[in-house]
Amino acid sequence: MKHTVFAKTPVKYILNTVCTAAVITLLVLLTSGGALNNYQTDLLKLIGINIILAVSLNLAAGFLGQLPLGHAGFMSIGAYAAALFSKSVALPANIEFPMALLVGGLFAAAFGVIIGLPALRLHGDYLAILTLGFGEIIRVIIQNMTITGGASGLRGIEKHTSIFWVYLMVAATIFVITTFIRSRHGRAVLAIREDEIAAEASGIPTTRYKVMAFTISAFFAGIAGGLYAHYLSILDAANFGFMKSVEILVMVVLGGLGSIIGSVVAATGLTLLPELLRGFSDYRMVIYSLLLVVVMIFKPSGLFGKYDFSLGGTLDSAILWLRSPNKFHTVREKIAKLKSKKGGKA
Amino acid sequence: MTLIYQLINGLQLGAIYALVALGYSMVYGIVQLINFAHGDIIMVGAYVSWYIIAKMNAPAWVSVVAAIVFCALFGILIEKVAYKPLRRSARISLLITAIGISLLLENTSQLIFTANPRMFTNIFSGAINIGERSVSYATLVTIVISVLIMIGLTVLVSKTKIGRAMRAVSEDNAAAQLMGINVNNTISFTFGLGSALAAVAAILYCCSYQQISPTMGSMLGLKAFVAAVLGGIGSMPGAMIGGLCIGIAEALTKGYISSQLSDAVVFGILIIVLLLKPTGILGRSDKEKV
Amino acid sequence: MTPILDVSGLGIDFGGLQALDDFNIQVASKEIVGLIGPNGAGKTTVFNLLTNVYKPTRGSIRLAGSNTRGKTIHAVNVSGIARTFQNIRIFKELTVLDNVKIALHQNMRSTLLECIFRLPRYWKEEHEANRRAMELLEVFHMGEHAGDLAGSLPYGAQRRLEIARALATDPKVLLLDEPAAGMNNTETHELLETIRLIREQFDIAIILIEHDMSLVMGICERILVLNYGLIIAHGTPDEIKNNPTVIEAYLGQQRGE
Repeated sequence: MKHTVFAKTPVKYILNTVCTAAVITLLVLLTSGGALNNYQTDLLKLIGINIILAVSLNLAAGFLGQLPLGHAGFMSIGAYAAALFSKSVALPANIEFPMALLVGGLFAAAFGVIIGLPALRLHGDYLAILTLGFGEIIRVIIQNMTITGGASGLRGIEKHTSIFWVYLMVAATIFVITTFIRSRHGRAVLAIREDEIAAEASGIPTTRYKVMAFTISAFFAGIAGGLYAHYLSILDAANFGFMKSVEILVMVVLGGLGSIIGSVVAATGLTLLPELLRGFSDYRMVIYSLLLVVVMIFKPSGLFGKYDFSLGGTLDSAILWLRSPNKFHTVREKIAKLKSKKGGKA
Repeated sequence: MTLIYQLINGLQLGAIYALVALGYSMVYGIVQLINFAHGDIIMVGAYVSWYIIAKMNAPAWVSVVAAIVFCALFGILIEKVAYKPLRRSARISLLITAIGISLLLENTSQLIFTANPRMFTNIFSGAINIGERSVSYATLVTIVISVLIMIGLTVLVSKTKIGRAMRAVSEDNAAAQLMGINVNNTISFTFGLGSALAAVAAILYCCSYQQISPTMGSMLGLKAFVAAVLGGIGSMPGAMIGGLCIGIAEALTKGYISSQLSDAVVFGILIIVLLLKPTGILGRSDKEKV
Repeated sequence: MTPILDVSGLGIDFGGLQALDDFNIQVASKEIVGLIGPNGAGKTTVFNLLTNVYKPTRGSIRLAGSNTRGKTIHAVNVSGIARTFQNIRIFKELTVLDNVKIALHQNMRSTLLECIFRLPRYWKEEHEANRRAMELLEVFHMGEHAGDLAGSLPYGAQRRLEIARALATDPKVLLLDEPAAGMNNTETHELLETIRLIREQFDIAIILIEHDMSLVMGICERILVLNYGLIIAHGTPDEIKNNPTVIEAYLGQQRGE
C-alpha cells in the first residue's frame, strides 16, 4: 500500500507554496542584506530570466514537441513593449512595473497567435524554419522602427527589475506551466506531441492546442523580455536574433525536453558557465560549443530526459524509505546493483 | 541600364547562393538534416584559401584546389564524427548538434584568426565595360563557373553511378541498402561534394566582397538556406532556381528600396513560401501515411 | 430501422488514380460489418474517408442523419466516429491511464483558468475522468497496468488499449483497422470475445477491416469485399465464402505472383 501524503493531495500545494516563499525570501535577504555583491546579484537576476525563457520554450519544444527557433523574437517583443509602456506611463514603481511586464507578455502572446496560426499548420522542419524567419524579421523590423530607437536601440529604461520580481515571475512561470501540463489541456498537448493524427482522431482540436501552447510559451518569453529590459536599461534588437534563440534552445535541450527541473538546472548552469570560464576568456566560447556537441552525441535526451521533479513525490519516497523495516537493505541492494553494473561495463 | 546592372549583380549573388543552397538541399535530401554548419564551411574555405595565398605565398590555383579539397574532407569528417552517431536519434538532437558545430567553427576560427576581418586578394582582377557601368571579371567568372558547375552536377546526379546512389538513398534509405548501395559512403560523398561547392562559393564570394571574418558564413548560409527552401529543400534544380531568385531579389531590394531592408525581404520571401507552398517551387510533398 | 451510418456513392481520386469508387454501405447500431479484400484494395482508404482524414472526391457520409462533410477530423470524432489504426497509434510515452483520459477530453468542460488555479471543477472532472478511464480499462482487463507506460505493454495489450481509447470517445460507430494483425490464435480468439463484449455493453456499430478470416467469419454479420477500389461482393459470411468473384480476387493475386 503506497503511502502518499505529499504527492497526490492538495497538501502538495501548501508544501510547494511554503518552499517557494522560503526560497524567494532567502534570495531577497541575501541580496538586499549585502551578503551577495552587485555582480552576484546581477547574475542571479540573469539566471532567473533565463529560467523563465527556458521553461517557457520547453512548453513549445518539450511538451508540444515542436521546434521553435524564434523564441528570442517573443522575448524582444515583450522587452520593447514593456519598456515603451513604462517609459510613457508615470505611476509608482510597484504598480507600473507589473503592468509593464503584463503588457510585454500580452504583446508577445498576441504575436504568438499571429505567428502560431500559420506556422503550426506546418510540420517539423518547416515550422522550425518559419519560426526562424519570423524571429529574424521581427529583429530587422524593430531595428528599423523609430519608436524603438532604430539602429541605436532604446535607452533610459528604469531599472525596476529586482530579485523579488524576477523570482516571483520564475515561480509564476513554473506554476502555470506545471499546472497546465497536469490538466486535461496539458494532456491534449502531450497527446499531440506523441501522435498528432491519433490525438485528432480521439477528439482533440489539435490546431487550437498547438496555438494555445505556443501562445503561453510566447507570453512568458515576453515577461522575461520585460524583466530583461528593466534590468539592462538599454535594448538593442541585434541581441535578440537567431543566436539568442539558439542559446535558449540549448538550455532546454541540455536540460531535457519535457523536464522543467532540467530547464531550471540547465539555465542556471549555462548562465554561470560563461562567467566561471571568464578566466579562459578566449577559449570560453570554444569550450561552450564543444560541450554542446559532446553532450548531444553522448546523451541526446539531455541531463534529465523527460523526468520531472516533484517535491511532494520526493518527500513521499523519503517517508516510505524511512518507514520501511529494512531500509539499509535496500540501500545495500542499490549499491550492489551499481557495482555489478560498473563491473559489467568495465 | 541600371536595371541590367542590378540584375547582373543579382545573378552573381544568386549564383553564389545557388552553390551553397545545393549543399543544403543535397544533405537534407539524403539525411533529412538542416546542416546549420554548412554556412560556416564557406568561412573555412575562405580562410584556407586566404592563408595559402597570403601566408604561404602560393599561386592562386593552388589555394583554390587546396580550399576545395580541404573543405570536402572537412565536411566528411564532421559528418562522421558528429552526425553519424545521431542518425537514429530525434531530429532535434541532430539539429542542435549541427548548431553546435557551427558555433564551434565560428569560435575556433575567431580564436585562431581573431575577429578582425582579413583582406582577400581578388584572383580575377579587372573589369569590362557594359554600357556606362563596369562589370568586374570576378562577377562574370562567378556566373560562368557557377553555371558550369550546375550543369556538371546535373550530369553527375542523373548519369553517374554515385549520382544514382545519391538519389536512391534520398528516396528510400532501407531499399537502397538492400540494392547493395553503400549508404555510408554515399552520405559521405554527398557531404564532401556539398562542402566542396561551398568552398568554390567562398572563393567566388571573396573575390567580389573581399573581407573575410569568422562570422561571414552565418548570414550568407542563412540566406542560401532560404534559397534552398524557396526552391524546394531536397531538390537540386530547386536549389539553383531558389538561389537565383533570392540573389536577384536581394540585389533589387538593395538597389531600389534600401540596403537595411534586404534581409527582411529575404526572410519575408521565406515566410510567404512557407505559408503558400511549404514544399517550395520544385519540392515534393511529404504526406504522412495514415 | 434507420442506419446509424449511411454512406452512398463515396469515391476518391488521387491525381489520376481512382482509389475508391461508388462505395455504399448502411450500418445499423449494434451491427458488426466486415470489410475485406486484397492488399491495396482501398479498405483503409474507406476508413480515412469516413474519418475525414481524406476529403472525398464524390459521395456522402451521413452519421445519425447529419452530414459529416467538411468537418475537421476531431469534429468527426466528437460527432461519433472513432477508429483504431493499422499500425497501432497509441501515445507510447504516456501512461495507459492517460491514453484513455485523453479520449475523455471532449466531455470535460473545465476551462484553462479553472485548471491552472485548481478550482473545484478541475478536481471534480479529474476524479470523474480517472474513474471512467479505470472502468473502461477494467472492461479490457487492463486495470492493473493503468500506471505503466503505454509503450511498455506487449503488442496485444497495446491493441486493446487503442480500442479502449477509441471507446472512451463515446462513439456511435467504431472502425477497427486490422485489429488482429500480428496476433496468434489465442490472442485472436480473445479479440473476438472482446469485440462481442463491446457490442453487448456499448450501443455502437462496428466496421472491421481484417485479413484474418477466422475472425471475420466468426464475428461479422455482413461482409463487404473490396478489390481495386470497388465493392465486388456484399453478403453474409456464407455467401461470401462461396462467391466465385471473391475467390478469384484472392486467388487471382496468388496466381499473378
